[in-house]
Amino acid sequence: MNEYGKHIQPSFDKALDALKEDVLLMATLTERSLNKAMNGLFKRDDDLCAAVIADDQEIDQLEVGVDKDGISIMLRFQPVASDLRQVVSAMKVSGNLERVADQGVNIARRARKLNHAPSLDQLHLLEPMYWEALTIFKDSVRAYSDGEVELALSLKGRDKKLDDFDRKVGEEITAQMAKYPNRITSYLNLIFIARHLERVGDHAKAIGEDAIYAAAAEDVRHQPRAVTSE
Amino acid sequence: MTENPVQNPAQGAVQSPAQNQRDQRTAAAGAPAQGAVEEETPPAAFQVEGLNMWYGKKQALFDITTSIPSKTITAIIGPSGCGKSTFLRCLNRMHELVPHSRTEGTVRLFGQDLYARNTDASIVRRRVGMVFQKSNPFPTMSIGENVVVGLRLNGVRNRALLNERMEQALRMAALWDEVKNDLNRPGMSLSGGQQQRLCIARAIAVEPEVLLMDEPASALDPIATMKIEELTQQLKANYTIVIVTHNMQQASRVSDKTMFFYMGKLIEYGETKRLFFQPSEKKTEDYITGRFG
Repeated sequence: MNEYGKHIQPSFDKALDALKEDVLLMATLTERSLNKAMNGLFKRDDDLCAAVIADDQEIDQLEVGVDKDGISIMLRFQPVASDLRQVVSAMKVSGNLERVADQGVNIARRARKLNHAPSLDQLHLLEPMYWEALTIFKDSVRAYSDGEVELALSLKGRDKKLDDFDRKVGEEITAQMAKYPNRITSYLNLIFIARHLERVGDHAKAIGEDAIYAAAAEDVRHQPRAVTSE
Repeated sequence: MTENPVQNPAQGAVQSPAQNQRDQRTAAAGAPAQGAVEEETPPAAFQVEGLNMWYGKKQALFDITTSIPSKTITAIIGPSGCGKSTFLRCLNRMHELVPHSRTEGTVRLFGQDLYARNTDASIVRRRVGMVFQKSNPFPTMSIGENVVVGLRLNGVRNRALLNERMEQALRMAALWDEVKNDLNRPGMSLSGGQQQRLCIARAIAVEPEVLLMDEPASALDPIATMKIEELTQQLKANYTIVIVTHNMQQASRVSDKTMFFYMGKLIEYGETKRLFFQPSEKKTEDYITGRFG
């Protein structure tokens, strides 16, 4: 229900609540996919990787459903002000969640390839990066769910940390490539996984921007900082 | 309501330096007082200061201070009984037709105090035309006669001039092509939407500076409503339009600025896009999102 209270038409509140619930369900499934993909990599578990690829369809369908329901709400109720922003941001967040889930699928596919090759010592380089990406992602969902503008604003700076991780992982692994040219394919897969995690950060930042749009009516995309803290 | 009346600048009169100074001060201080967030606007057509209005003992408007820019469309929204139609009627003194009504405060049209003792209400109403919720063509008159009746009442007798103004008004009201071969038919024979456009033609035939519209499309079907809405977009090039509507989608579609009234008070006034996207006042948000009452 909207923070401003009950709508005169309860069916509107019901439709808006259902839309947001579907987005949060997508977020839960996406987080689970990301976890499974990385565990499939760290534990060399192909089954986990296969589950991520199989489960992606459900997330795709939820995205289609959120778009359909969002358009239906706009057609039926012509929402304005915070209601309109809630509907628009739900549709945009679901798009970003679907892309995060796609990163999970990409990681799972590369993990399967790595699982069939000799284990690499450099795998541990991805662990802190993964935890950072996961934390940023979870915070972006919380910022959207609870309308926490300050938390959403913090994501941009934290995303840069992931960019740094990505660069360092790339540098370290590239150095290894010269020493062990026979492992180049596996090293490339590791570099790509780091890139996928970095992309998770980008989408989390975008979800944060959608959260700010919904809560504060500010479009902070491509801006240094449009909303200032109190 | 103590200022001397000043002729409308559009009619070629020159204001006194003192009046100009007062107007400039008014314009400078004319930002809406009540919950308003004003952006850059064209020069004001109306300057309203401290307007209070009573029907008998019941106060209908409370200390309204605002300005309405010229050649824009200003929508007035709010729940039933909030004072929006009363405010509209105060802009051309139509409320005076209600017995025991009285006002305090100032309403200026392009600088002229509309409530000054020596301001003629009938001239005010010629300068500030009005279109009502229910179309009201004169039942015994033809389409053509309906359009020029205001001019005749103002003493215009020249047939060629009357015909010219009739065609011009009907064209501006986007009705000419539909009625040009039937000008002698009764006005009442037109459809509801056409009758409303006929009333708009009648209102603009006397060349007012402002058009007040009190829910002009609320009794019309969607197609006729769209024609009226489209017409307002064309008319705003020449007229200042103030429109009262219960239809918030209509307000957001047609208007440049929107006022939200509640219980006789102007709660919020600002650019329509902003007001419907991010209202400043909680009451406005509650009303436009349907969380009211």
